[in-house]
Amino acid sequence: MSITTPTAAPTTAAITAPGAAAGASKRGGGRALIAVFLAPTVIGLGLFSFIPIIASVVLAFFRWDIITAPQFVGLDNFVRAATNPTIRVSFLNTIGFVIVAVALQLAVALLLAVLVQSKMPTWLRAFFRSTLFFPLILSAASVSLVMAYLFNQEFGLVNQFLGLLGIGKVGWLTTGIGAKTVVLLVYVWQNFGFTFLLFLGGLAAVPQEVYEASSIDGATGWAQFRQITLPLISPTMLVATVMAIINALQIFDQPYVLTRGGPGDETRTAVMVIYESAFRQLDFGGASAIGIVLTLLIMLVTGIQFQLSKRFVFYG
Amino acid sequence: MSTQAVLSRGRGFAIGRIGTFVLLIAATGLTLGPVIWTVITALTPSDAVTHTTSFGFAAFADVFAKIPVWLYIWNSVLVTLLIAVGQMLSAAMAGYVFARYEFRAKKLLFGMILATMMVPLQVIIVPVFMLVRGMGVADTLLALIIPALPTAFGTFLMRQYFMGLPAELGEAAQIDGSGPWRTFFRIYLPLATPGLAIVGILAFNYHWNEFFRPLILTISEQNFTLPLGLVTLQGNLGTGSVSTVLAGVVISMIPALIVFIFGQKPLREGLTAGSGK
Amino acid sequence: MVDISRRMMLGALGLGIVGTAISWPRLTGMDIPGRGSDALTVALLGTAQDAAARQSLVDGFQRKHPDIPVRIVAIQGTDWGDYFAKILTMVAAGTSPDVVTVATEGAQLFASRMAHPLDDYVRRDAAEMKDYFDDVHPSLVEAFLYQGSLFQLPDNFNAANVYYSTKAMDRAGLERPSDHWTVDDFFGVAQAMKKSGQSPFLPYFWNNRLWGGVVPWLYINDTSILTEEKAAGGDWFWKQFYPDEKPRGGGYLWQNADALNERTIESFEVLQRMVSEGLAANPAQGGGNELVALFSRGSVGMTPAGGFWVKGLADAGFANDDYDVSFFPKMRSQRHQFGAAGYAIMETSHRKDEAWEWLKYCVSVEGMRTAHPQPDSSLTRRSLNDELYGAGVGPAHWKVFYDTLDKFPTTGPIPAPPQQAAIEQALIKNVVGTITNGRSGVRAGLETMQRDLELALKGR
Repeated sequence: MSITTPTAAPTTAAITAPGAAAGASKRGGGRALIAVFLAPTVIGLGLFSFIPIIASVVLAFFRWDIITAPQFVGLDNFVRAATNPTIRVSFLNTIGFVIVAVALQLAVALLLAVLVQSKMPTWLRAFFRSTLFFPLILSAASVSLVMAYLFNQEFGLVNQFLGLLGIGKVGWLTTGIGAKTVVLLVYVWQNFGFTFLLFLGGLAAVPQEVYEASSIDGATGWAQFRQITLPLISPTMLVATVMAIINALQIFDQPYVLTRGGPGDETRTAVMVIYESAFRQLDFGGASAIGIVLTLLIMLVTGIQFQLSKRFVFYG
Repeated sequence: MSTQAVLSRGRGFAIGRIGTFVLLIAATGLTLGPVIWTVITALTPSDAVTHTTSFGFAAFADVFAKIPVWLYIWNSVLVTLLIAVGQMLSAAMAGYVFARYEFRAKKLLFGMILATMMVPLQVIIVPVFMLVRGMGVADTLLALIIPALPTAFGTFLMRQYFMGLPAELGEAAQIDGSGPWRTFFRIYLPLATPGLAIVGILAFNYHWNEFFRPLILTISEQNFTLPLGLVTLQGNLGTGSVSTVLAGVVISMIPALIVFIFGQKPLREGLTAGSGK
Repeated sequence: MVDISRRMMLGALGLGIVGTAISWPRLTGMDIPGRGSDALTVALLGTAQDAAARQSLVDGFQRKHPDIPVRIVAIQGTDWGDYFAKILTMVAAGTSPDVVTVATEGAQLFASRMAHPLDDYVRRDAAEMKDYFDDVHPSLVEAFLYQGSLFQLPDNFNAANVYYSTKAMDRAGLERPSDHWTVDDFFGVAQAMKKSGQSPFLPYFWNNRLWGGVVPWLYINDTSILTEEKAAGGDWFWKQFYPDEKPRGGGYLWQNADALNERTIESFEVLQRMVSEGLAANPAQGGGNELVALFSRGSVGMTPAGGFWVKGLADAGFANDDYDVSFFPKMRSQRHQFGAAGYAIMETSHRKDEAWEWLKYCVSVEGMRTAHPQPDSSLTRRSLNDELYGAGVGPAHWKVFYDTLDKFPTTGPIPAPPQQAAIEQALIKNVVGTITNGRSGVRAGLETMQRDLELALKGR
């Protein structure tokens, strides 16, 4: 049927190149469709996300330990959160972590996506694509468990391997720097696959002709990459970055299983203090307050990204 | 391919073919290394009677002996499949509307939907449990499924996807007399299969492996999903055998792997269509 | 292409609907026996025993009490923290269990807020309970007294003893340490093991947590990280059930941070020395499962563990003559530390009488035997440890487990006030910083710990 031969066939690249054609049709039948189609998502999220969020916001102004009745305390939870050194450090850790992790994740994913697209037999490309995507199908907790074994200072395989190279035993999980590095590596290891996938789609959408035209004009590899590839995949970059940052700001599983936030507070993250406040210190009001601060932070960062995107993202 | 041109032609691009393969193989090694170690450890359990380490499936047999693996797998399969299908449907429908229709407060509504992605699960889990209980589905698998049917992330993805499809198709269909429902079901939805595949696969992976939500939302043992069930293998005060624990991890990897393998084709179609390959 | 897709999708949808219909009983939990019925709900840790042992326990109870249906709720927390998270959620949603397993870590938290005192029940059934209390060391029960009332009947416990690899000991040319060996002797053993060990080898491996981490080294020096006092009251209990003992008061009180007293600093300095000389592991490492594997491989010379390890080592293929157990060395005293667990009745329960029957059954000889068929914990009933560890099951000196209580009568529970979770966090957080920054770093580290402990105790 002729429908399958339009000029712009559906691709994953389409996910990342909006603005192509948002056809707006407003008709009577359309209204019914809008309502029915939005219902599951809007009602569902309204019920299971919004109501709990509102409950949480309200709770942030109370002191509640589940067992006794809630007591109103005004802004006390927020003040305590701001003056608590552990919470401050956790937020700083989280922000620092996000900057490094997302940069690393994007760089690795982009590099590998570019490499995988280069000339090679189809089966080999499929092999690389599959294996690089693999860590995503594993559970974060299991991965962290395995990594804890591997990075054990005395007996882990990593240090054994380094020993073979003549390097002494590194205190991976026993020093602040080491622990942060391990959490970072494990997180990026697990999550780069998705970004990698996004980039594959974005790169695939760049038409061959553009490169050919620029080659005729005398442009070489690196310049081509900087001036053609990067701008053309900037929509993909935006989506990848936004998703990566929102995710990284909420990191919990890896540091929780690997180090429980230690040594000291070196690998404690914002979501960890939320969990600990709620379920260890029986301070649900305090936990909600911290949760609100984190959510506002995520919204702020996302908003900034979208503002910046107006200047840097090029929609072809 | 376009980037192939970048790499094989540009003299200024220093990597070259050998470098490319070295890097890729190194990346693959780092990616698969821990997985292979896990599988090997699971396959080399120590024997409690003969006190030797041997190669074999004893650790796997141990897992089946200690916990009702098939029940947990069945629970996980039911929950994950229903969530994946549900999310594909709800995301496709909502994403379509956001992509192709205009209406009052559209931007606001979409923004609110996105905002729900920015609140950590730990903050809202207790109210969710109370809601689930209010609905009368506490301590059932439905408690895990129903709250996960709507998806902000999936809606976002599908919206992007539908926005990438040309409006001309819909307009042509309109001219041919097709109503909005038909336009969706006959024209746009079939074309959206790769996007749906991505939503489905990601939903499957996330919910197959999740631990915290099932921990809080289920009560009876018969309702445990596989990640919950595997905790039993860790033994009293952490004395369970490492091989057994890792055998459990390997077992839980297998269905995800199967979905992954079968999902490769639609994924590939989504990635390569339109690139002239 | 389009037609096929649509047909396929409709087909898939149809299959999905049919599949959902068929699985409906599973999805709605209708296939779970006894669901929704008004049964006695018992919550316990999912890893405590496997499903078969749990079922035997229920069956045994039902035989004695056919009129009391029981529903077990196994909670799959990876540690006590996750476990409490789940209990709290259930309480919040109004689905609170009737009976809850609680370990020493949570005993005072539950006692102060959620548990129902057992005083009336114990007094009422005193004749029945005499046999139990006669068989259980008073230190174990004392750990579950709070403000003069009894809140739990302990059914299993674990004191921290020193497990050592007989191979490593032989290789170093050493004999089994004497019962009253000193910390200097300990260093001697560790150094000898290190010299004769084959890399990678560690003389002393330990985990950084409340039980069995730094605490044993504090207790043998007659100190702790918190002040320790006894509450008033409790005489009714001691006079009736342990008439030959001096009354021990109404339970422990850990109310103030005490990380900066000289003896505590001294203990931490010992640990710092151990780590800096390469005799002990840097403690920020992974958890239990890994330790069993390391020990059984012969990579570790000594480690602190309790009776619960016998099963773990057996499962890992370690023969029971490849290792043995001894007491902790002596410093100022030889006070040991233990953790214990038992059931508590929730204040919110409407079935307290039935709950009490469950408690009694679980601490009876039959109940304890059924609940612990494997040597994965020491039992509070002295007489039952013989069959659990004797006859070649446990290591040669398995009697050490219970003797720890008899030989060292000041042996006590790990410090666990109602704010235990925050205390444990404050402790663990600061251990590494305290013992890995040189000898002068110990006091500085403990100052931070003191600050964190004070903050932790402030939270109710």
